[in-house]
Amino acid sequence: MMDATARPEIDRPEELVETRLVTWFFLAALGYLFVSMLGGILVALQLVHWNPLQGLELLSPGRWRMIHTNAVAYGFIANGLLGACHWVVPRLTLKPVFSKALSYLIFAAWQIVVLSTAGGILLGEAQALEWGETPVWIDPVAQLGLLLVAINFLTPIIKSKGPMYVTLWYFTAAFVWTFLTYAMGNFIPEYFVSGTSAGAIGGLFIHDLVGLFVTPLGWGSMYFFVPILLRKPIWSHGLSLVGFWGLAFFYPLQGIHHFLYTPIPMFLQYGAVVSTIAVEMVVLTVVVNFFGTLKGVGREVITNLPIRWFYLGMIFYALTCFQCALQVTLTFQALIHFSDWVVGHAHLVMFGVFSMWIMGIMTYLFPRIWGVPWHSRRLSEWHFWFSGVGIFVMACDLIMAGVFQGFWWGALLPWEESVEGSMPFWMLRVFAGLGMFAGQIFFAMNLYLTWKDSQAAKAKAALPA
Amino acid sequence: MAPPTVTRSRKNLWITLLFALAVLIPSLYGFSGKFIEFVAVFRGESDGQFAITPIVNYLLATLGFFCLFGWAIMHGMFSDIERPKQVFLEQQEWLDQQLLAAQTAPSAHRNSAP
Ligand code: HEM
Repeated sequence: MMDATARPEIDRPEELVETRLVTWFFLAALGYLFVSMLGGILVALQLVHWNPLQGLELLSPGRWRMIHTNAVAYGFIANGLLGACHWVVPRLTLKPVFSKALSYLIFAAWQIVVLSTAGGILLGEAQALEWGETPVWIDPVAQLGLLLVAINFLTPIIKSKGPMYVTLWYFTAAFVWTFLTYAMGNFIPEYFVSGTSAGAIGGLFIHDLVGLFVTPLGWGSMYFFVPILLRKPIWSHGLSLVGFWGLAFFYPLQGIHHFLYTPIPMFLQYGAVVSTIAVEMVVLTVVVNFFGTLKGVGREVITNLPIRWFYLGMIFYALTCFQCALQVTLTFQALIHFSDWVVGHAHLVMFGVFSMWIMGIMTYLFPRIWGVPWHSRRLSEWHFWFSGVGIFVMACDLIMAGVFQGFWWGALLPWEESVEGSMPFWMLRVFAGLGMFAGQIFFAMNLYLTWKDSQAAKAKAALPA
Repeated sequence: MAPPTVTRSRKNLWITLLFALAVLIPSLYGFSGKFIEFVAVFRGESDGQFAITPIVNYLLATLGFFCLFGWAIMHGMFSDIERPKQVFLEQQEWLDQQLLAAQTAPSAHRNSAP
């Protein structure tokens, strides 16, 4: 990052960030979120025997479950974070991305990857790798896309001079990690190793995807947006770097904690347990740092909507990590493995944390980019509350369901009894999901109305005085 | 922005060190344990052969980060560890002023289409 005293002259500062592309990424992300949520609702309805599309093979829940997870991860979260990167990286380095044309190409290529993944899954072509269901013939395209992303963003980062701000550390690592993680997960088990070894790699892949792609881009964005919105620097930059380097060194070891009690040798399982405990400390440093930053400006959490999204996400983050601390013990695993506890945890992480952050970023950036305030504060509030309460209810519901299921299975009750017992929990999940979905509809309405306001403002400004 | 006081930065330093140790001690313990097992695998323990792929993956990734860490120290990235957070905010403020100036200037064109 450049030194404050040596600011370069920027000829056309308004061209530093390609705001149109940021908007496109965000709109694409929201489109996939809608599809994914509809998929989630469909699967949830199936589990309580209310599936209205029973018998349609292409829309069978097995396929839609994969559409649900892939559309959320690669459609919503990846597009949302790529949009954020197109805002953050040029502003932090004061240099545009390597090539704007390349950015548009990446945008198009990424949508092709996501849509062909969906098509491939519907046609029964899914690759047999959790979170890597992308059909094998798309993998090279996706890999190339990730390489282009890395080139596009790393170029301005490398060109910038002086000590780097923590966001750039996180982003740099994320661009390299994501490329390597994707290659490791999608190619090694498919072509090079098999059996338990492939299982261990699969474990590393699913965990690294969350921890080395989404987490660094997510936290990196928080270190960027929170100080700007609070108009004060992060509490301790040193502590933030402990968080970053801790993640860098200890996160990659953890993946195998998804496969406790499997034939993977115990020393590897124990290693994963220990490194998970280390990462719990790392997480604590990050959370302490952000809550330390709030000192003296705590009211912003109530009045400033993006900040509220961000901090609610951080509270959920701390909760999910607390869950991890329990989950990583072998005793607790024996209870909750394969149960709905895990599904509750997954929703809490993906929606409660990362989606909250992306929503906060969108809530801040859409009005900035369009140059008008949100059309309706009330709709924005509803978006927040329906999403927040919805995910809280869904997560509590599924986590409790998981504990019950664990005890039923442990008591060796017939499987049918555990399914019957789970019904009330699954019904509540449908309603919580509908609530979350309603929140997004309020957002879409507000977005449309705000865009119309911006068009009207533009037309007015174009009129001769 | 007021520069941090000496006592405050010393407190920050202690807290940072404390957390650094809390992260490093269990991790190094875990890592050395793994490494010893890894050596055992090479000496012919039958149940660990397939552990080699994940461990080699990890070692390669960590080696990369270790080099980056060394490079960062050599290039003074951490010499004034709290400064980047101040520079960052000042720079963003300055950039917003530039943007405002560009918007109000007659020749400026705004790139705000959806
Ligand atoms: C409309 C709201 C939603 C409903 C009703 C819903 C429902 C479901 C259902 C029924 C499953 C399958 C669970 C199983 O196999 O037993 C699932 C899986 C999953 N969903 Fe959702 N979902 C919703 C929204 C979301 C959102 C917004 C995200 C992420 C941002 C998300 C992330 C996931 C993940 C990661 C899984 C995989 C869980 C695992 O394998 O453990 N869901 N969802």
